[in-house]
This record gives sequence, C-alpha cells and structure tokens, in this order.
Amino acid sequence: MAKWDYDGPILEIDELSISFFTRLREIPAVMDFSCTVQPGEAMGLVGESGCGKSTVALGVMQDLGVNGRIVGGSIKFKGRDLGEMSADELRDVRGSEIAMIYQEPMASLNPAMKIGRQLMEVPMIHEGVGEKEAYERALEVVTDVKLPDPKRMLDSYPHQLSGGQQQRIVIAMALMSKPSLLILDEPTTALDVTVEAAVVELVKDLGKKYGTSMLFISHNLGLVLETCDRICVMYSGEAVETGSIEDVFDKMRHPYTQALFRSIPLPGADKSSRPLKAIPGNFPLPHERPNGCNFGPRCDYFEEGRCNQGDIKMSEVPGDDRHGSRCLKWQEVDWDAPMAITDQKEKATPGDVVLKMDNLKKYYEVAASALFGGANKKVVKANETLSFEARESETLAIVGESGCGKSTFAKVLMGLETATDGTITMLNQKIEDVPIEKRSTDTVKNVQMVFQNPFDTLNPSMTVGSQIVRALEIFGIGDSVQARRERMLELLDLVKLPRAFADRMPRQLSGGQKQRVGIARAFAGDAKIVVADEPVSALDVSVQAAVTDLLMEIQREHKTTLLFISHDLSIVRYLSDRVMVMYLGHVVELGSTEQVFAPPYHPYTEALLSAVPIADTSIEKQHIVLEGDIPSAMNPPSGCPFQTRCRWKSDVPGGLCEKEVPPQRTLADGHQIKCHLGEDVLSKMEPVIKVAAE
Amino acid sequence: MDPLTWTGSFGAFLNPIFYALVTVAAIAIVAQFVIPFVTPSGERGAITLRRGPGDYAAMAVQFALLGIIAIVVIFTLSAILGPYGISGIIGEVGARFTPVWIALIVTYAASIFYKRKLGLYGKLFDSPIGMVGFGLVMFWVFTAIFSNIIMTHDPLAQEVIMKNKVPGTPLGQDDAFPHYLFGGDSLARDVFSRMVAGSQIVIMIAPLATLFAFMVGITLGLPAGYFSGKLDTVLSFLANLILAFPVILLFYLLVTPEIVATGLPTYMAMFLFLFPLVFLTILFNSRFFTQPMKRNILIGVVLFVGGWLYLSLISQSATPVNFMGALDLFNVPGGILIVFVSVVFVNSPTVFRIVRGLALDIQTRDYVAAAQTRGEGPWYIMLWEILPNARGPLIVDFCLRIGYTTILLGTLGFFGLGLPPESPDWGTTINAGRRLLSAYPHPAIVPAVALVTMVLGLNLLADGLREESLRD
Repeated sequence: MAKWDYDGPILEIDELSISFFTRLREIPAVMDFSCTVQPGEAMGLVGESGCGKSTVALGVMQDLGVNGRIVGGSIKFKGRDLGEMSADELRDVRGSEIAMIYQEPMASLNPAMKIGRQLMEVPMIHEGVGEKEAYERALEVVTDVKLPDPKRMLDSYPHQLSGGQQQRIVIAMALMSKPSLLILDEPTTALDVTVEAAVVELVKDLGKKYGTSMLFISHNLGLVLETCDRICVMYSGEAVETGSIEDVFDKMRHPYTQALFRSIPLPGADKSSRPLKAIPGNFPLPHERPNGCNFGPRCDYFEEGRCNQGDIKMSEVPGDDRHGSRCLKWQEVDWDAPMAITDQKEKATPGDVVLKMDNLKKYYEVAASALFGGANKKVVKANETLSFEARESETLAIVGESGCGKSTFAKVLMGLETATDGTITMLNQKIEDVPIEKRSTDTVKNVQMVFQNPFDTLNPSMTVGSQIVRALEIFGIGDSVQARRERMLELLDLVKLPRAFADRMPRQLSGGQKQRVGIARAFAGDAKIVVADEPVSALDVSVQAAVTDLLMEIQREHKTTLLFISHDLSIVRYLSDRVMVMYLGHVVELGSTEQVFAPPYHPYTEALLSAVPIADTSIEKQHIVLEGDIPSAMNPPSGCPFQTRCRWKSDVPGGLCEKEVPPQRTLADGHQIKCHLGEDVLSKMEPVIKVAAE
Repeated sequence: MDPLTWTGSFGAFLNPIFYALVTVAAIAIVAQFVIPFVTPSGERGAITLRRGPGDYAAMAVQFALLGIIAIVVIFTLSAILGPYGISGIIGEVGARFTPVWIALIVTYAASIFYKRKLGLYGKLFDSPIGMVGFGLVMFWVFTAIFSNIIMTHDPLAQEVIMKNKVPGTPLGQDDAFPHYLFGGDSLARDVFSRMVAGSQIVIMIAPLATLFAFMVGITLGLPAGYFSGKLDTVLSFLANLILAFPVILLFYLLVTPEIVATGLPTYMAMFLFLFPLVFLTILFNSRFFTQPMKRNILIGVVLFVGGWLYLSLISQSATPVNFMGALDLFNVPGGILIVFVSVVFVNSPTVFRIVRGLALDIQTRDYVAAAQTRGEGPWYIMLWEILPNARGPLIVDFCLRIGYTTILLGTLGFFGLGLPPESPDWGTTINAGRRLLSAYPHPAIVPAVALVTMVLGLNLLADGLREESLRD
C-alpha cells in the first residue's frame, strides 16, 4: 500500500476510551482522551505508572491484545480511522507509517538474527525493494544514528552490542521506512544517564531531519521538556492537562500538574529549608476511581459537592495555544501563590566519624572458563583505592552509572564480600576482612541496607509483619513474642503505615508501601549506618517524594549516617550533605554538595550534571554529550579511567591521561578530584546549570 | 440370571441419541480445527461481537459433550433408582461408584463455594482444565478410599466358570453380586474389582514415593544451587550419573534376589528415608534457633515421631536389617519397599536439577540479599526465603511427577518387577492380560484405561495449576 499524503494533523485522537475486560469486570484504562499531533510535532505523554499512557500508544497501534477493546471515540491517522482498517491495511501501516520504540532494547531485537538482516527486512517487506538497496538504506540509517563502524554493526548480533547501541539500532529500525509517526514508550528508562542524554539528543535531531512526528511517553518531566513541543499530563486514565511545554510548565492550570512539580526535586529545593511536598494518598485503582474528578481525594483545592459530582470535561484555557485543563476550579485557584512551607527543619549537624574507609580495594578474579580455568585469569578491579569518611547524621551520596563499583562497595561494607586491601573502620572496629557470618550481632545491626527494587525487596511468601519480626529476632531485640510484635507495630508507625499492614502479604502493597516496609526492616535494629541503594528510583514521582522525606525524617530522629547510592543528581542535590562521584571503580570527585555542583568540576561530573534532565524551563543547561559507552570493567582503559570519553583530554599536555592514573588532589577544604587538568583549566570551567534571570 | 448388555433395556431409545451426539461432537471438534485455516481471519486477538463459524463449532462441541454427560448421568441414576440391570453395564458400574460421586459433588460444591478463600487451590476452580484434571484425580482417590464398598467381589477370588468371560457375564450364585461387570480374567478373577483394588495400591505408593523424591531432591538441590562451586559440581555429576543409567536395568538389578539378599535395597532405604528427617530438622532449627524452647519442642517431636517411623520402616523382619523387635510398628512388604526405593532413587535427581535451577535464580533477589545482610544462616535463606518462592513450579512438577511415577509403577508391574504377580495393581494386571490380548482384550484394557485417566487427570491438574499460579 502506498503512503498517502494528507495535509491535516498526523494523528487525531478524539474522545478515545479503552477498556480491558477481565473475568470479573470491565476495567476502563483510558477515558475520554483527545489529542492532536501536527506534522513534525513532538507530543509528550506524561503520567505515573498505571495512568494509561502506554495503553494510548497500544491503541494507536491497534494492538490491545485479547482483553482490550476500544469502547468509544476514534483514532485518525492522517485522516483515516485506524479502527476501520482491515488487518491487512493495519499491517501495512505498522512499521512503515507508524513505528514504535519500546523500553527494553534487547527485547525488541531478534537475538538470533544479525542486525543488518533485521534492518533490511523493513523496506523489503513494506516496500518490496531489493536486497542491495535495502542494505544501502540500512547502512545509511545506522550511520545516521551515529554508531561507530556501521558495516561491522550490521554484521553483528544484538547481544554483541551494549544497551545504548541496541537502543540506537531500534531507533534506526523504526526510521528505516521513514514513518510519519514515531511512538517512543519510555525509550531511555533502561539506560544510564549519560547514555540516555546521548540517545535523547539523537532522537531530537533525527525527528528534525526526517520530519517525523513523535509521541513520546515518559514518566520523567525533565526528559519531556527536553524533547517535546507539546505535553499531555495523564492521571488515572484521563488527560488532565494539555498544552505547549511553556504553558504547562510555567502556567499550569491543573492541581495534579502543580502537585507533580512540587514533588520533584528541582534546583532550589532543599531538604531543610524548602522540602518537597508529596502528593497525599494513593493512586486510585482503575475499578475504584472516585466520582467526578479522579484527582479529587488527593487535591488541595477539593470542594465537596462540586468536584465529586458528574463528569468533568476538558476546558480550554483562553489565550494560550491549545491549552486545556480538566479542572472545574482552574479559574478560581490562585496559581501563583507560593507553596505553603509547612515544616522547616533545622539542618542537622554532622557528629563524629562513624565510618572511615582507607584505600579500600576490591578485585575479583575471573577465570575464562569455570571448569578448565586457571591459566588465563583476569582481574576485575571493582573498587580502586576508595578513601572517605562519613559522620553521624550525615548523608553521603554515592553517584555513578552502572559498572562504577558502587554495588561492590556496598557489598564489602555489608560484609557479603571481604576487601582485597585497605581498611574499613566502623565505630572504631576494623571490619574490612570480617565476613558477615563472623560479625557480631551489634556490627550487623548497625549497618543495614535499603534495596532498590520494591517488588523484590520483600519475601513474597511471608507477611509483612513476620518479616520485620524476623529481623528483630535475629538482632536479639525483645525477649518475648509479644514484645517483638509490639516493637514491629511501632516500626510500622515509624514508617507511617497502618498497623493492619502487619498481616498483609507483600503483593497486597503498592511499590511505595513495600519500600516503607523495607525501610522499617532496615531500622529494626536502630542501625547507625544505612546504605540506601537507589531506594526511590523505581517508584513513581509522587511516591518518591514521600519515601525520600520519610527516610530523611527517620535519619534526623535517629542520627543515622545515610549512604545514598544514586544516579539521579537532582535527588542527590536535594538531600545529600556530601557527594562522592564514582567512575569505573575510582572515586573521581568527592566534596560537599555545593562544591561538587559548582565549578571546578571533574570532567565526568560535568557531563553527568549536563545529562540529568531538569523539569524547569528557567534553567539553562550546557549540553555536553559523551561519546561512546562506559568501558567494561573487565577491560578498563589505560591511564585515567575516563580518558576515552573526556572532552578536556586535549588540555592535558603530553598524553598524560592515557599513561597515568591521575592522583587524588585536594582543591578546597574537603574537595578532592582525580584529574590531570591544571589549575588554570579548572578555574576556567563554567557552571553547567544556570538559572536564567527572571 | 441373564447376561448384562452394555446399556440394558434403557439403552434401546437412549443409544441412538447417544451415538448421534458422539457423531456431532466428533464433527464439531474436527470443524473447530479446520475452520480457522479456511476462513479469513479478522483482527487477531480482538474481541468480535458477531459470531463466526468457529464460535458455532465451539458451541456445538460444548452442547454435544454436555449431552453425552447427561445421558451417562441418566444411565447411572436409572441404575441407582430403578431395578437391577435396567441400564446395563454402564449404569451398574456408575451405580457402584455412588459413594465416589457423592464425595466428588460435596468436594466440588464446597470448593467452589469457598474458592476465593482457598488460595491457589481455590483458583484451580477458575480453570476448566484444572477442574477436569482435579475431578479425574479425585475420582481415583475416592475410589481408593471407598474401594471396599465399591468392589463387587474379592479381587483375588477365582470362580472357575468365569475364566476369560466377557463383560456382563452372570456368575450364577445367589449370595454374591450377580455379574462380573467387566468380565473375568485368565485366572477367572473379577476384572472390575481388581481395577478398583489396584487404585488403592497406585494411589498409596505414587504420591508418597514422589514426596520422598522431592525431600531428597530439595535437601540436596538447594545447597547445590545456593553455594554452587565444588559442591554443585559433585552433586550435579552424581545426579547426571544416575540419570544416564538405564532405569529398567537399574530396577532389574535392584530386585534381583541375590542383590536383595545382600540387603542393598534396604541400605538404600535407610539412606533415602533419612532425608525427610534431616529436612524437617534443619527446617525448624534454622527458623526457630532464636527461640530455643520452641525449637527444642518442635525438633523433639520431629525426631521422636519421625525417628520411630523411620526405624520401623527400615527394620524389616526377614532382611539383614531387623532390630526393632516388638517396637516395630509395621512391616512393608518386601516388593513394595523395593519399588518405593527404586522410584525415589530415579526421581530424585530430576527434582534435584529443578530445585537447583530455581535456587540459582531466586538467590539473586533482593530479599535474599536482605536476609544475608541481617546475618541469616545459609539454611534459613535456602529453606525459608528461597524454597517458599519456588513452590509454584515445584507444585506443578509434583503433580506431573506423580503421573510419571504412576506410569513407572505400571512399567514395573508390566515387567513383573517388585510387586507379587497376583497383585491387582494396574501395571501387573495389564501384563497378565497381555498374553491373551487378541482373544480377550478386556482384562488388559480396563486397567489400561484406568491408568490413562489417572495420569491424564494429573497432567491436566498440573496444567491448570500452572495456568492459575501465573495469574494474580
């Protein structure tokens, strides 16, 4: 089928409703959703998990599975109703006119087929071109997505590429037949921050080059700000606000959008003077939505008898470009009123040193083959000369991307592994070579951990209460079953969960609630040091703020030292006192939060800062895109670990970066960096993030 | 007494309907397979409101099957309510199983009524496949339980005139049940009663042997997966060694009188039956060592009760291991013990491999890391953190494996291994009937059908469980 020309909007979705049918009931996933995408326009679809944003995308692809059905409205693509097309016509449209990019690149590629074959298939099937031409096209697109050595790429299998490269191939495949509409469903969630920044840059450039319209689905407001022209905010199956990026970000007219912005750590938020404001309550389940406004029960402006009655339609905000809000009261609310700062807290003062690491090294020996190994053993240097101190009631953030050694460091500290060299002193005890089974109960309960994945952190076959009680038993707290149960209920109070949750199974809890149980378990033995391994990165934005706040509050009360492992610099800036940046097992920069977030930077910190998307239109960011991927720890580059991707490398004379690992240098009081750059170059560095004058 | 026909006088007008329904069902089933290939397919996966020819075929199958069931029910009811023999062999057999039907109806009614409160077992009743499988399995379980009421004759008794007689032949005695419902076998025993009695042996040995195999497999598989390294290499090698050995040859070796005389099977029993004890002791110790009182009581009970059972089990009169004397609670017939040991022995390596794989997978979860970081011992992590979360695949495999074990018992019986030749278990009876199969097929077909339905039921049950455990 030939592509047809059409002057109007590429995609018109009109009052679309989609439901899923289960044995018990009909579950409405999307209700009364309308949006229009003009040619060349990028539309961002933002919302928390379960709000129906992916369902909209699947609806556009007409791929709702056995249980899903469009129950109302229409989806017009270039003027033609997709719902009325036959299966054959749809097959023609998919892949050639509408292409989709999914979250997990490895799952989108056929692992048994060479990249080249997979790419060539697209024009061969849709346009019937010959093998030779298809190959030329594939080569061209792969060059376009800026992959090194395109010919070799076409000749390799998906597993031979890194995650970032795979996602570039998926993008290349989507662009093979020059589609009019590209749907991206969380395309960068599985990637590291610096890689994400490069992929986002690429998508933006290619969108312009090919003139493709985009539907960009994401939970990250910052990412949408950087990629899209228009935005549509969804909540519980409905679009609640839609408009251009500037209108929605600066002149929001829906309470949910406002609450969302207040719950994410933008520059300027601070844990003591301007804390985040979490959205109260929980996301409603699809079959338990309230009457009237879905956001009503969690809204600050809720008005009984008005907001919970009848259907609420989208209403136009006059004066703006297609800006609409699904709120009855948007004209009455004073949107410029400053956020009510409820509880300002005293900044905690760090106390004595509780944890000190000195020259910690952790090497792994990896044999080439498990059975006949021995001869060619490789040494993986997971941690290289780690030295730092952490004080009582201090938050030390450990920042780095995958493979930087932060998890290994946590394992060594917890005693799951023993250090190869160096010392760890905790509360005046040396623990670097004491594995966990040899540690005293006191030592064990003093260092505890909060894990990343809320769906994995609790044993699915034990009640919440018994898991906490078990920790109490092991730590020897409470001398009877009653005493321990009482203490367990107090811990539930501490993490602000209802006591009834003690007898629930983990699967009955939401992600945020599970993470709270994980925190309660970590604090069961009044831990002095808590290692939090990305505790909120898997949670929804509105829940993140609540969990972060809870962690801070408990820390303040218990004077705990918090080691906060994260790759998200926004949240790190918000809550940490000091920051340690790691790259390939090395600490490249260490200092107080102000020192690390202001120049002079280590070149890697600079790139990281630039890569993190910030959801604030008043922020001007320097764009630093790192070339290539993170090198493998099995085969690290010679000299400075960062030299392969560093943009300042030419400023160091004599190729020193490739020859020597830079020494740890102290710039200012407590500010250390590991870099060869001279003082003059460092002092010339400009801040990456600037708040534009208002 | 006249011979019984299959459907009796009642069948005269029901038979045509019955055959018609069977024909309709057969045609509709074929149509169901063919239609999707010949008609243009609509949107794949979408729910369409108008019915296509495929849907009509599916409906026809449903109604035909329901009709067939209804007719069988009518036969059975007429036999229960009406005079003897009115609905022939089918009716009388159905009537003999009355206690089983009542038990099944009660089980189903109660289970469906409370299904939302019963966890995975309750969810089984959401899946038609699972329900059918569960029904077949429970049918044989109840048959085994009520076998004394159901049996029409002594399964070992011989009536000379009944030798190789076809189903429905009258016995001609006034004091006993008037007919051999499924005929007589070559030694003039009642085939029907032997089938019912055989269910008792199969239902008793197969699940128990599988349970023991699981205990062995779990106790060895968990540490192999959790610790990996050398231990894993050694254990996996041993498991592969056993798996590589021809099973039938192994059985022949184990039951050879010379080897039995050396006591090897008994020593193997000593070793294999120790595992449940070890398993339970570690299970309770790892969990309750923080509460010594509770731990001591639990382990004391396990060791006393389990130990006594264990010692009674392995101490057999007339074998080299016989020391219990008067304290010996029971003696297991030698043949059954050997069958039991060999079945456990060949099944446990497979279970070992499954458990090892599951342990390798689950140990990477965060809750295992959380347990490690609070200083739990390895056995607690294996038995209380990993094992409960591996239960889904293990339950499914358990059901499937009971099926394999049943077939294995049949195979053993067929080769005349282990159980005595007069034993009514299905494998042995099939073997006995095989010799005159071309002339008198019924003595072999009846136990064969019993074996097929039982194993089919277990497989369907496993399918249903797997399907339902994936949903939430």
